[in-house]
Amino acid sequence: MSHHLFLLSPSDTPLYSLTHQSTKPAPAVASPLAANLPTWSTSAFAGTLTALSGASSATQQSTSGPTRVGGGQDRHDVMRKDSGMYLKAVDKFNEWTVSAFVTPGNMKFLLLHEAKNDDGIRSFFMEVWELYVKTLVNPFHSAHTPVRSGVFDSRVRASAKKYL
Amino acid sequence: MASNVKQYKAIGEELWKGRSEKINAELFALTYGALVVQLIQDYEDYDEVNKQLEKMGYNIGTRLIEDFLARSGMGRCSDFREVGEVIAKVGFKTFLNITPGVVHALPPSPTPNRQSNPTPSQPSFTLTLDENPLTEFVELPEDALEGGLWFSNVLCGVIRGALEMVQMQVQAEFVSDVLRGDESSEIRVKLVKYLEEEVPVGDD
Repeated sequence: MSHHLFLLSPSDTPLYSLTHQSTKPAPAVASPLAANLPTWSTSAFAGTLTALSGASSATQQSTSGPTRVGGGQDRHDVMRKDSGMYLKAVDKFNEWTVSAFVTPGNMKFLLLHEAKNDDGIRSFFMEVWELYVKTLVNPFHSAHTPVRSGVFDSRVRASAKKYL
Repeated sequence: MASNVKQYKAIGEELWKGRSEKINAELFALTYGALVVQLIQDYEDYDEVNKQLEKMGYNIGTRLIEDFLARSGMGRCSDFREVGEVIAKVGFKTFLNITPGVVHALPPSPTPNRQSNPTPSQPSFTLTLDENPLTEFVELPEDALEGGLWFSNVLCGVIRGALEMVQMQVQAEFVSDVLRGDESSEIRVKLVKYLEEEVPVGDD
């Protein structure tokens, strides 16, 4: 059973991606879907993405004062609800479920997975968030650029092994 | 000697506690990190960045020594060995709240038959930093590693500047750095010469 993690910037640029093979026992789903994983630009998956970003922040393009505040409010309401950051399953694509997590900084984490694993995925997202924040504080990392840190990569992998 | 070391530790601890203005460590680390990154963008040459950091440290050190001597009231150090102890246990403790380990390398007493090692003609000591508040969140990217960046080089400058104000000309440089993948971060401080007080020209 494999999982695919994507970290997206507020402008929906992919900053990090990871494919993880889980060693946990999975329900018998014998589908060679790994081969079918859509590439970034060419799928309905991207459509889900825009829908998601639309839902979380309606003000990607607008810079005028009043509208911006309005859009921001929506997002903040989502955040303020208890762990409202974890949006659980937002879409299904072929046999993959897409779970999402939106951070207060409007970063989006997406996980494609086959089986249901809400608690594990939530804990995984929280840990990835913490690791991401630690990477952000590195002076050599510029915000909203692809994450190249080897340490981040190995820690995310370890966390994936733990929770997924 | 051992009692001196304990004394210095106690003095350092007291001075640190007595300071009323402390700064948030995260803010400090982030500020320094931003500074280094900006220097890298401006100069684009890691050797030059190292030099600039050292220069900045030098300017800080020449002034810091006054503050240090005023607060600690320490007298003149009797030899270079004591200098190393005071810097590590009192100096670093007062300003950064860390106590690096010190290893001394003093020239051996003259023995005419020694040919095996090149004996250091001047004394030196090595400070080993087990923790470094400047590098709290830092991870060096590939080209910084290859380019030879010493991230905390400002510390070498501070040591050089401070000691120059008390009549010692030294060379301070990093020999290893945890950020670069080495086992520990070490600064080697080598005495070049003692500076004589210069009589101002035309003073009759």
